[in-house]
Amino acid sequence: MVDKLYKAFVDATYNVFNLMFNISDISDHPIDEFACDNELDISVGIVGELQGEVIYRFPVVTSLNMVNIMSGMEFEDVDIFVTSAISEIANIISGNVITALSDNVFRYDILPPVLGKPSDAKEYEIEENCCICTSLGEICLDVRLNRA
Amino acid sequence: MLWKDIYELGVPAIDAQHKELFSRVEAFLQVLRSKESWEEKLPKINETLEFMKGYVVEHFHDEEEYQKKINYPKYEAHKQVHIGMVDYVLEVSKQFEESDNNENLMQQFGGKLLSWLINHVAAEDQQIADYAKKEGVSGNGR
Ligand SMILES: [Fe+2]
Repeated sequence: MVDKLYKAFVDATYNVFNLMFNISDISDHPIDEFACDNELDISVGIVGELQGEVIYRFPVVTSLNMVNIMSGMEFEDVDIFVTSAISEIANIISGNVITALSDNVFRYDILPPVLGKPSDAKEYEIEENCCICTSLGEICLDVRLNRA
Repeated sequence: MLWKDIYELGVPAIDAQHKELFSRVEAFLQVLRSKESWEEKLPKINETLEFMKGYVVEHFHDEEEYQKKINYPKYEAHKQVHIGMVDYVLEVSKQFEESDNNENLMQQFGGKLLSWLINHVAAEDQQIADYAKKEGVSGNGR
């Protein structure tokens, strides 16, 4: 169940990069810790048989590259505009995950993305981090779940 | 340029409209992101916003007519996506007026619009084109 959810998030991220940015040269690898001190975090709550969240972490460089390519303009800071554009990308990825998992039997819901990272204080049974590498930069998916 | 040839669907009737839509959105984003002060660019923001809003509605309507014409099976679902976006645009416009032209609100709107539009054209409208080509009706204009 966790594997399927995890894979759905990774696949959806691949798909979005493929369709929106025409990038097919993408790879991913598991990581222990995402070494990036300046990033945009967007978290998606999971409730039901699985409880926790998936956090999308977009480093500043990746965020700016994505928005520059989409707009054909030059963005130099992660301001409200950039944050909103990247939040919408997270929303699109989550939407694709929900569609991909729509015919499965697991009882959990994927909540709308919210800006910010929940505190690290909680303990999780399942913790998986994955780094997705594209020519626009890296994105990290941070999955933290407990079985209800 | 906001428009890129990779967004082309190969259905002339839709492609021509998408190019027009992108040029209106681009005009709006250029004003929104220009270096002038907010007060200075506000008249232009309002003007391009109205212009763009008008065209969004018109384009969605025409695209829906095209889908009907070619009997696109996901017509209803696609229409709902369009309605959702129009509602969002109207809601933001209302809030913008009520907030006395808050800049942050418009910057937030611009960012979301950019990602939404590109995904909609590159992913969702692509499915209309795939269907049209499969059925051999992609040359059908309006
Ligand atoms: Fe559409």
